[in-house]
Amino acid sequence: MNAHGAPARTARTATLTLRGVVDGAREIAPVAIFVIPFGIAFGAAAIEKGLPATLSVLMSALVFAGASQFAALDLWASPMPYLMLALTVFAVNARHILLGAALAPWLLHLPVAKRYAVLSVLSDPNWAQATRALQRGETDAGLILGSGLLMWVAWILATAVGAVLGANLGDLTRFGFDVLMISFFTAAVVGQWRGLPDLVPWIVAAAVALVGAWVLPFGWHVVAGALAGGITGALRHG
Amino acid sequence: MVDETTALLAIALMAAVTLLTRIGGVVIMSFVPITPRIEAFLRHLAMSVIVALVVPAAVKGGPTAMLAVATAGLVMVLTRSAVGAMLAGVACAALLRALPL
Repeated sequence: MNAHGAPARTARTATLTLRGVVDGAREIAPVAIFVIPFGIAFGAAAIEKGLPATLSVLMSALVFAGASQFAALDLWASPMPYLMLALTVFAVNARHILLGAALAPWLLHLPVAKRYAVLSVLSDPNWAQATRALQRGETDAGLILGSGLLMWVAWILATAVGAVLGANLGDLTRFGFDVLMISFFTAAVVGQWRGLPDLVPWIVAAAVALVGAWVLPFGWHVVAGALAGGITGALRHG
Repeated sequence: MVDETTALLAIALMAAVTLLTRIGGVVIMSFVPITPRIEAFLRHLAMSVIVALVVPAAVKGGPTAMLAVATAGLVMVLTRSAVGAMLAGVACAALLRALPL
């Protein structure tokens, strides 16, 4: 552990290799398995909303962002509230902008096409994994692509299973899968701990997010907390 | 009932908006020079995103979620294994729910 907030290791180069893709997929596999219950729950919920299996699977393939897909089901009605749908999906997924920005010092070293291919499968778990990899000095963005692709495939297949089997499966999230993601993210935070100077930005982020969760529209508390923590960190260390 | 054309349009809209959020951060940063201060901002931003995801979710999840998070954090400190920490958190929550409390 690196006390006194030594500067992060930030990649000065970036590569994208097949080896990295395979390693990324292998490393994320335990997490991807646990995405399956959520995918099944989404497929089942979509069927109940009258969304046929083909369309819910298509949505999972093209959108690949669980929370926003569940939120969309709440708005799924005729006439379709397109503007509300776009705003809701944007609000729930706006944190991706920050995840991407945080990877920018790394990914900007990649050619444009590869850069955006990698980002197209960006999600919270594979981003958390990539951030850890960057800290240990990895430069292979194939890690993000491989882990993202595996999560994507798992999400699509699980949606299909849920859409076909429907509510017969019951609520798989009752087995504690709902705490899986926050446990994984907790591990990511703890793994990044670099000593006491980190504490103030984290506390600011937690406090703003917590207040925001009650006073802001759904989805925005993560963005607010993250920006607050980032600005606090920049002011203290910049 | 939502007809198929409407559903396809809605899915395309969702996909476009989500893709914009995924690439947006890097697109914006390609116009911003990455100075040491910006780099410090991005580094703290990265961890703050996770903190901002975890803390409200743990609080809203009640004592079970909070204990699961504490367990995951502890296992991470002890083992440095993210997967081990994740499984420990899930096991903790499952155990607490199985108890007749």
